[in-house]
Parts: sequence; C-alpha cells; structure tokens
Amino acid sequence: MISKGATRNSNSRRVKFARRFVSALLHMRNRNPRPGSLSIEGVRTKSQRIKIAAYLSMAHAVGSRRAWSRAVLSKLGSRARRHMSRMGRSSLGSLKKKRVIRSYSPGELGQAKKLRQLVPGGKTMDICSLLEETAHYITCLATQVKVMQTLADNFSK
Amino acid sequence: MGDKDKFELENRNEDPMNYAPSVSDWGFGGANLTNTSIGLVPKVNPMAVSKGDLIGSSSCSSTSMVDAFGPTIWDHHTNSENLGFCDNGVQKNTSDTFGIRKGDPVALRSIDKTFDMGWNPTSSMLKGDIFLPNAPAMLPQRLPQFPADSAFIERAARFSCFNGGNFSDMFNPFAVPESMGLYSGAGGVMQGTQEAFAGSGLKSVSGGQSKKNEPSVGEVSKDVSLSVEHGAAGGSPPKDERSQSHVRSHDESKQRSGGSGNDSDEAELSGAGDQDEPSVLEGAGREPFAKGLDSRKRKRNGQDAKLDPAKGAAQQSGECAKDKTEIQQTGDQNPTSTTNRSSGKHGKQGSQASDPPKEEYIHVRARRGQATNSHSLAERVRREKISERMKFLQDLVPGCSKVTGKAVMLDEIINYVQSLQRQVEFLSMKLATVNPRLDFNVEGLLAKDILPSRVATSSTLGFSPDIPMAYPPLHPSQRGLIQAGLPGMGSSSDLLQRTIHSQLTSMAGGFKEPTQLPNVWDDELHNVIQMSYGTSAPSNTQDEDGSLPSGQMKVEL
Repeated sequence: MISKGATRNSNSRRVKFARRFVSALLHMRNRNPRPGSLSIEGVRTKSQRIKIAAYLSMAHAVGSRRAWSRAVLSKLGSRARRHMSRMGRSSLGSLKKKRVIRSYSPGELGQAKKLRQLVPGGKTMDICSLLEETAHYITCLATQVKVMQTLADNFSK
Repeated sequence: MGDKDKFELENRNEDPMNYAPSVSDWGFGGANLTNTSIGLVPKVNPMAVSKGDLIGSSSCSSTSMVDAFGPTIWDHHTNSENLGFCDNGVQKNTSDTFGIRKGDPVALRSIDKTFDMGWNPTSSMLKGDIFLPNAPAMLPQRLPQFPADSAFIERAARFSCFNGGNFSDMFNPFAVPESMGLYSGAGGVMQGTQEAFAGSGLKSVSGGQSKKNEPSVGEVSKDVSLSVEHGAAGGSPPKDERSQSHVRSHDESKQRSGGSGNDSDEAELSGAGDQDEPSVLEGAGREPFAKGLDSRKRKRNGQDAKLDPAKGAAQQSGECAKDKTEIQQTGDQNPTSTTNRSSGKHGKQGSQASDPPKEEYIHVRARRGQATNSHSLAERVRREKISERMKFLQDLVPGCSKVTGKAVMLDEIINYVQSLQRQVEFLSMKLATVNPRLDFNVEGLLAKDILPSRVATSSTLGFSPDIPMAYPPLHPSQRGLIQAGLPGMGSSSDLLQRTIHSQLTSMAGGFKEPTQLPNVWDDELHNVIQMSYGTSAPSNTQDEDGSLPSGQMKVEL
C-alpha cells in the first residue's frame, strides 16, 4: 500500500532527522563547554544555530529529492557557510540564482508570493510545483517540530 | 557575533531562515506574534506525514497513477478479453478482443485483419462482452447494424476522452449486437455507448473509448489508416468489404475522440437498432469513418483524401432518414471537433494528462461540452493539476476540510507554514536554554522519537495552544515572558513560583519569546540570573520568563 511505504519513509526520515539533529546538538554542546550561555545574546545565538541545525538536518534527511531541500542545503550547507565566511556577503549574493517570480494564475493574489517566501526554493517554481513542494515541506516541518518537541521535553525533564 | 551577523545577513537575503520565521521574526519584530494561527497542534497525525511521502512521490505518482490507469486498464482488458472472447479468428490478435460473435468467423477474421494493427489495444478494451444473442440471425444483417455502429463509433470517439470510463458500463449487453461483433472494438463500444447513454454512461463510454483509443492515437492511428487501406484494397467478398468498411467506420468514429455533441450519437445509436438498409448503413458507416480519419488526423493527413470520397458516398446513401440525419449531425460535429483537435495537441486522449508509453506528448482529450482549443486544453490540464495538489494540501493542513476556494485555502496554508516555522524557532530557543543539560541517553531519546505515537502529547498540546494564548497577554503587557507550555497559565507570579520551585518541569517554562527578550529583559535578566543562580542553572531561564512583573518579584524572592 502506498500508505505503508509512506509511513516507512516518514519514519526513516524522522529517524534520520532525529539522529542528525541530536548529534548536532551534542556537537554544539561540546564546542561550548560553559560559555555562560544564559545570557540573552548567547541564548539567541545558540538558538539560531540550533534552528539552522534543525533545518539542515531535515534537509539532509530528505536528501536531494526535493527542490526545497536542495535549496536549504545549498543555502545553509557547510559549504555555503564556509563560502560565506571566506568571501563575505557579496559572494553569497552572487551565489543566489536568478529569481523568476512567475504568476501564472492571476487569481492567486499575493498568496503565491508569500508562499514562495516561506518555502525554500520557492521563488523559482511555478505554482504547480510550488504547491507540491509546500505539501512535502509541511510534512517535513511537522515531523521536525514533533522531534524537537520530544527532545525539548526530554531534556527539560 | 560573526556568525550571528552572517546569519542575519542571510536572513535579509532570503535566507532559509526566512522560510521559517520571517525576517521580522528573526529580527525580533514580534509583530508576527499576533498573527499566529490558533490551534495549530504540532502534532500532525501520521497520516499527514505519510501523505507527505505520498506527495513526495506525487510528482510521479499523480501522473503515473493517471497514466497507469489508462494503459493498465487497456492491457488488462486486452488480456482478459482476448482469452474470453476471441474464438473466431479474432483471437489471433491478442489485443483484438472484439466482442465478435462466434457465428461470424469470416467477418471476424476479415475484421481482425483490418483491426489488427491499429486496434489491438483498443479492441481489448471493448471486451468481447459483446456477444449478441441474436448473432447468427444478424450475420447477414451486419449492415443494419451499421448505423448503430457508426453512431457508436462517433460516440466512442466522443467519449474516448473521458478518462476513467467504466468499461463495465460500456459492455452492457445490447441489442446492437451484430455490428458489435463485427467491429469488435467498435461493437463493444457501441453497446456500451447505448447503455451508457441511457444511463449517463457517457463518461464511461468515453473513458472506455479513451482507453481504447489511447494507444491507438499515436501509432494506432497509423495502423488504422493502414487498416483502412487494407480494407479498401482488399478484394474480399462484399460482405467482408462491407464489414471492413463498417469496421473502419467504427474505428474512425472510435478514433475520433470528439468531445462534442454526444447527444447526436445517442440518437444515432438508438436509431442504430433499426434494421436499415445496408446501403444506408454503409453510407453511415463510411461517413463517420471518414470523419474519424479526419479527427485522427495528425498523422494521417493523407488519409483524409481517401476518406472524403467515402464520405461523399456515404452521404449519398440514405434510406433511413433518421440515421442519415443523425449521421450527418455527427458528421457535422465531427469535422469541427476534428479540426480543433487536430490543430491542437497531438492526439489528445483522456481528459487527464496521460502518458502512454509509446507517446511522447501528454495527451489530453477534450471533454464533452468543452472547448477543444489546444491552449484551453493545456490550461485545463494545469488547472486540474493545481486543484489536485490543493486537495492534497487540504488534507495536510489541519482544519481545512471545510474550506473551499483557492484563496482561503492558500491563506490557511500560509498560516500553517508560518506557524510551523515559528514553532521550530521556539523549540530551538527552548533547546538552546535546555541544552546544557544534554547529558542524557541520546539513544533513549531517539528511541522515543521513533515511536509513531506522540510521547509527550501533553506537553505538545500544552505547547502549541499556549503560544497563541501567550501572545495577547504578552503584547498588551509588553512583557517579554511567554510561558509556553503552561496550559493553565496563571498569573506571572504563580508561574514564577512554579518555575523556581519545580525547577525544570515539563512545562516549557524556559521558553523565551525571542522577540520580546531584548526589549524587556536586559536589566532584569541579569538580576534574576544572579539571584536565582543558586537554585539551579536551568531555572534561571525560567525565572527570567516568570518574572513578568519583571525583576520586582524576583527581587522579592
């Protein structure tokens, strides 16, 4: 049945994401032994890093099958970060692909534009594939939230 | 700060962070807090996730399913039908499972020859169900059935574009019979069409037709032309000739997937039951035949010339006024549809975008009553794709089953995605504060994650609803505290006491609203931290959160 395969895929995706994310968290923790992370700035930075780690982990779990995961990986990937740090912001601008905002159906108003901004890689997609990517992205986000919630609960106990 | 700056820069440059929180969120705008959609539970049922996977493969599946529907059905039918019915020589063409009557081996064989090439796949569709009870008597009267056949053919052509037609409808046993047998594919369709028409089986018929015609559209069309030629050239006995021509006409009408004027077909079919003069039948048969060829046109431009004379001849005959008029009606309709279609996409079939393995194009068949312009057909396909995806999204997004309309649906989707991204941000913030305590058994946590059911449902439920709940009190009070995860969030003082005393409870006490933090906490935070540092490290964050009345309460404590 398709659902079985889907469940298997979702489970494996969830497991992959969880593993990667937890290892990233551990890595982060080991990197900063005790920096006084309770400061607001520290917490904010850390939360940003964790957020990026979460998106990256999910993108890796999905792989390159989806346009949005590819976009996330190219943007947030380690190579992109290294590139960014080395060459500065300008190079990152050149890395961005040309954005073609297409509005095929006039009846979409500004919603398609908003959706494009929300979904990674959505700027260069037509509505049809944008909707498809959105659906997949939503499911992955949901699993991401679930896993992170579980982690947070467990860690806070 | 370097990293942070870079990240912030990235945000401005549509960083993926924008995907989750918008830039304003990222920059502690806090304006988004008010926009949170309420009631979004992070817990998405497993079905949604599985659906996501479905969607993941939907790019191929959505079309593949549709595509598979046609060809597989055809193939399936072919196999089943061949086995069942073709006992006359028809069977030799595995695919040609015309419902050929057993009593007409000669005719059948001749028919087979003609249909062989083109109709193999299609004939299978027709299913040889069409055993007409009065087959033997009908044999000599093949012609009488011709009108029915022609009408049937036209109808078949018209309906061919209906996808997912129920073959079963098509194959109801009709009286039409003989002709059906003769024309196998055509015959079957005819029966089906008659019944279908009666019972609004138009769609099914067309579906069947479409299935039938799909393979025939491309190469089959060629085959048909070949068969036509074959039939024309064959010096078989008149009977065979006629049968062949009939067959051809049937084929043509079948092939002619006109999406128009099916009513006329119905009328024709009903009239087909009458026993008409062979000449009339012939003419009628030829007419649709010619038209069919025209409709199939793309590859067979040359054949039109052949057909035209036939058409003329057909028109000349005319015993049965009813049939004639009917036929002519269909004839009139067909050319228009034909021209439209031929001008349009290549051999469209099925209203769905189906990709038969042999074809390179996406074939779309115009449905009844719809414009057959190529552009409109393409648009229709696009619209259908989009609506299909919207339906899928509707299942994914909770609480959208009753929402109708694209605009509202899109709004809901956008809200949902934004809320999910915000949740991710909140959770990352929470994890950032909690992280120091990450001494745990990671594997145990992973094991819990793997469980399909939500383990910490209570906390989850407490978490998400609280977020929106927290916003309203937060903003008015301009307090930077959000006690996310505290279901019955009471006064801040209560919260504070709870957090302080219970240290890290399951409540997401340590969760700080990032947007508010910088505004509110700078001074109080440090005080609180220093004051409560002794109790427990984690509780510091909670204390910060809990000190809504700001540092004052903490000071007291």
